[in-house]
Amino acid sequence: MKTAATLALGLALSTALAGGAAQAAGASDTDAERAARWKEIATSIFGDRSIAPTDTLVKIEAPKRAEDAALVPITLTMPEKDKVKAVHLVIDDNPSPYAAHVTFGPAADPSELKLRVRVNNYTNVHAVVETKDGALHEAAVFVKASGGCSAPMGMSDEEAMKGMGEMRMRFAGEPASGKPVEATLMVRHPNFSGMQMNQVTRDYTPARYINKLSVSEGDANVFTLDGDISIASNPVIGFRFLPQGKGPVKVVASDNQGGRWEHSFAAPSASN
Amino acid sequence: MRALLRGAAILAALTVPAAAAPADSPVNVPEPQGLWTGPQRGYTPATLKGATVIDSEQLATMLPERPVLLDVVLADRKPANFPADRPWLPTHRSIPDAVWMPGAGVAPLSAEREALFLRRVGELTGGDKGKAVVTFCRPECWGSWNAGRRLVEAGYTNVHWLPLGVEGWQDARDTAVVKPDPAWAALAPAEPER
Repeated sequence: MKTAATLALGLALSTALAGGAAQAAGASDTDAERAARWKEIATSIFGDRSIAPTDTLVKIEAPKRAEDAALVPITLTMPEKDKVKAVHLVIDDNPSPYAAHVTFGPAADPSELKLRVRVNNYTNVHAVVETKDGALHEAAVFVKASGGCSAPMGMSDEEAMKGMGEMRMRFAGEPASGKPVEATLMVRHPNFSGMQMNQVTRDYTPARYINKLSVSEGDANVFTLDGDISIASNPVIGFRFLPQGKGPVKVVASDNQGGRWEHSFAAPSASN
Repeated sequence: MRALLRGAAILAALTVPAAAAPADSPVNVPEPQGLWTGPQRGYTPATLKGATVIDSEQLATMLPERPVLLDVVLADRKPANFPADRPWLPTHRSIPDAVWMPGAGVAPLSAEREALFLRRVGELTGGDKGKAVVTFCRPECWGSWNAGRRLVEAGYTNVHWLPLGVEGWQDARDTAVVKPDPAWAALAPAEPER
């Protein structure tokens, strides 16, 4: 497999992050095409609402060299967290570009959000922040990765679905009063894209993905995610919240085929 | 990439209904007797008898002679149960000026589609079987190998195969949005993309 790994590097299929600019790919024809593509997608999602570029409200980090286009980690940083109501993640050149819509609740600290996504081809990735005053602000990075939407999972569908809906939650750091807690939620779910061919039967596995996931602490919502086939299998979501000490952290997830799962986790408390 | 290798490893473990033995490594893939009829995704041979294997650098030096660029990447397949209220906006980027015939490397093809493929290449080469033609799709994709083999068997003498395909090209160079070849797309229904 060493040769395979070397070959893989040679193929340059791994992801790389080029520049910071939204249209970083080079010649002007390409820039114009990518800008037109983004306009088409933005219109389909946001209608005729205007979207202002931002350097401060949201920043996108993607790896310089990820090994797997089906598992590209994305970190959204939103330092002006008190202004943020929601964020939309769009992977422009994915056939289903609208990867995620995350709405933050009263218990949220939106300063950082981590997701893992599928990237189908070299593409701009856009994050659009919706501020509490109703305005939209966009940032973009160019990500080099390809084939992520159709990449098979390398196991049978049955195996991929084993334990579907199981969840784990990890809290990091010592809870302190008034300080946000960093949490990582792991959900076992294949999130089948519907574009993956079963390598044994050579049939396409129907799309089965988490389309709704909400996290709350006690009665207070932390965030609600509207998901898509562009979210990687076995979703891992990193987020921050402000513990109110009023109950467990509850996660409710559902998928497009009627699956529904609910789990509660003991919330870290400053008094412990 | 890891998933791709995983997929290929699984593939290798299966009995593939094709002439050649399944490949167990990317460096030892024998050429099948005829066309490859196994899954499109998998390790491909290092050679294509009767054709020249090229990389992106070599293609770049060929471009001034205006070779026919044949892209056979499969079209993105819309999931049958994809919700109607979500945007489905497939797009395809390729080597600029490429002619995209999605799935033209699938084997077997219907006789009608195979004939159309050869007719279109005949038109694109102006009937000159010595005209440079380059077939490509993606890395570890048999489609472009099959397309090249079809052309060799049809008597084309200047066939080139670009195994790294669009990915190899776009790593260092610009791509352009390409729509399916209208004549190819007009033939309905499309082959199942396998």
